[in-house]
Amino acid sequence: MGLVESGKLPKSLNKLLSISRKYSIWAYQWGLACCAIEMGAAFASPRYDVMRLGVIPFPASPRQADLVVIAGTVTDKLAPAVVRLYEQMPDPKYVISMGSCANCGGPYWDSYSVTKGVDQLIPVDVYVPGCPPRPEALLEGILLLQERIAHEDMADRWKGEPIVVG
Amino acid sequence: MTATSDREQIAALAARANDNRVNLDFETEGMTLNMGPQHPATHGTLRIVARLDGEQVISAEPVPGYMHRGYEKLVEVRSYPQINTLVNRIDWLGSFANEVPFILAAEKLMGVEAPPRAQWIRTILFEMSRIANISLFLGDYGLQLGAMTAGFYAFRDREHVLNQIEAATGGRFHPNFDRIGGLKDDLPKGWITDSHRAMDKLLAFCDELDDLLVGNEIFQSRTRGIGVIPRDIALSYGLSGANLRASGVDWDLRRDSCPPGLVYDQADWKVWTHPDGDCFGRTWVRLQETREAALIVKQLLDTIPSGPVMAKVPRIIKVPEGEAYVETENPLGAMGYYIISKGDLVPFRVKIRSASFNNISVVPWVARGAYVPDLISILGSLYFILGDIDR
Amino acid sequence: MSQLSSADTTTETPAEEATEVEIDERRQAVLDELTARLGDAVVGSHIRPGDDLWVRVERAAWPEAAQVAKALGYTWFDFLSGIDWLPSPFGRDMDAQVDLQVSGAPVKEPAPLVQGYAGGDTRFQVFARLYSIAAGMGIHFKADLPDDELSIGTWSRTYFGADWHERETAEMFGFHFEGHPHLVKLYLPADFQGFPLRKDFPLLARRVRPWPGIVDVEPMPGGDESEGEGE
Ligand code: SF4
Repeated sequence: MGLVESGKLPKSLNKLLSISRKYSIWAYQWGLACCAIEMGAAFASPRYDVMRLGVIPFPASPRQADLVVIAGTVTDKLAPAVVRLYEQMPDPKYVISMGSCANCGGPYWDSYSVTKGVDQLIPVDVYVPGCPPRPEALLEGILLLQERIAHEDMADRWKGEPIVVG
Repeated sequence: MTATSDREQIAALAARANDNRVNLDFETEGMTLNMGPQHPATHGTLRIVARLDGEQVISAEPVPGYMHRGYEKLVEVRSYPQINTLVNRIDWLGSFANEVPFILAAEKLMGVEAPPRAQWIRTILFEMSRIANISLFLGDYGLQLGAMTAGFYAFRDREHVLNQIEAATGGRFHPNFDRIGGLKDDLPKGWITDSHRAMDKLLAFCDELDDLLVGNEIFQSRTRGIGVIPRDIALSYGLSGANLRASGVDWDLRRDSCPPGLVYDQADWKVWTHPDGDCFGRTWVRLQETREAALIVKQLLDTIPSGPVMAKVPRIIKVPEGEAYVETENPLGAMGYYIISKGDLVPFRVKIRSASFNNISVVPWVARGAYVPDLISILGSLYFILGDIDR
Repeated sequence: MSQLSSADTTTETPAEEATEVEIDERRQAVLDELTARLGDAVVGSHIRPGDDLWVRVERAAWPEAAQVAKALGYTWFDFLSGIDWLPSPFGRDMDAQVDLQVSGAPVKEPAPLVQGYAGGDTRFQVFARLYSIAAGMGIHFKADLPDDELSIGTWSRTYFGADWHERETAEMFGFHFEGHPHLVKLYLPADFQGFPLRKDFPLLARRVRPWPGIVDVEPMPGGDESEGEGE
């Protein structure tokens, strides 16, 4: 999509592209700790049912995903894998950091082995706070991300500030 | 690496394995399969490095530590009530169950005892977290073996228990409800009736799963006779919980050495064992345990005594000098806290004995000679939670 | 099971005496049996009636102790770990001392080094627990490790489960387990420096930024609830 990256896309076409991207997010669930269960409840349970928002939570590999949800504690030992996973995803890609652990270290803020915030490793679009955040909070985070995607100009994708739910 | 040196390696590994489960007749080229750290079948971030000969596993070595958060160091700089918050997050599916042995150990050192009502509610919530934990296992194990439906059912019916836990404690999981000397709060109005109803739904769920999953022919053929752990090996590896009982060891800490502070002797229930020690046995025992837990809850709900839920304890908790070890039968197996106190606000040292750590250390033994698809069956049936391995 | 009245002494309330003495005898019998088989290697012991038994053995007899216990029916391996008895050089908890230093107040002297149940002479100890399902009793084993030779025999031949526990203990305390088949790091990345569970290993995040939450454990003005924490 050389046209998109060059920023020469007509406005109306850009809008159409954004809307279609908004309602077809393939989300890779990366559950690392307790938050993974709430993410599972949001993504896989009939009660919360994320698919009604136009999110498909079952990509087989990060290479097919638009969105990765980092749910849980990132440790220093795991950090290279996080970076690698992010690099495997095709652009445009989005990251939701779910839970205090992924946001800032959470209850393990003073640990010798926990990375204090996944944003030290990869750029994060939406922060969902809570320990654990309720599934509704994650859904809210996804809605906000969709909002951003809908109004996004591909050219200055990285200039936006991250969104904090709450 | 050339093929010859690879073959030599396989021969050496097989010699070390010292059994004839490894087949060296076909001279296939050896291969290393690396599962994880991001792999759907490993519940998060366990990594398994397996050496394969064709489809057969010669050696499988789990690499834990991707979730190591340093609990035993962190608790040395936290006061007892703060630790209570932290230990919730060890086995995150049955959080309340993590608090109980820790609180009991601290109570033992302080010489306080929770009032009867608190003991009752503690036991009820303990069993509820067992249900919340194991019901997810039953669904997830089906999911891993290709039975999607079980997973959806489990997530659906688990919500009933979570609702009850949330109504009583305020948190879907991570309740942080247990206190040294009792509980944070009394039960809300109408909770007992609601819980009865929830337990009935859970019992129906167990029956459903009995037909849907355990009675399923495909499920049986993927689990029967796979990953057999004999009794002696299970004991020597320190397996506990359903993994041990599925190997024919009739031992349940709830029945055999229930620490003071829990009231399992007030209910009429049964410990289930299975003679086979295979994946099917482990699943079957867990299913029975879920049902049994629901029955325990129902019985205890009818007999909750009235009274306060908090004993007299000082406002600032200082635990007298001493050492104490309390172990309880948690959803995943035996979990214990060894507390060494020096009479301070913070413990001097806490050794956390978590069940999954021992349960998963048997993988190198049991996976040897298995086929690759069976590796998933074996790992799933041993049932571990990453936080419980890595702490 | 009877409730203990006191944590660190063996005094009993009269009402409980009947049962406690009986259970006490069972543990005493186990201790006698261990002493008979291990001889002089048993250097310390402690019994809390109705609850637990601690036995301290010579470092050289550590592997043998496991074999003897296994022969006595203690077949279930519970855990193995280490203890560092050095009082934390950063004070009672790291926050408080750092705060004090900043405000210029004198830093408290660390407490003397005192070992726990079953005694000891060294800073480092290994300890482990075995359980007999038939008897429904457990034994805690301890052994001293001299500072200049932090090394002890492995249990992993007797109890397979000790394999991982010894790897964990080795990386956390820097002990060496002789005869262990594969003593590499278990949890930590291979290039990790230091031994986190030693008392002189600082939690750097805490030293950089003391946690404001420490006020939680101090009495709050006007607070009159029975619980000891603020939320
Ligand atoms: S934020 Fe809380 S619930 Fe989420 S992974 Fe961290 S500790 Fe667990």
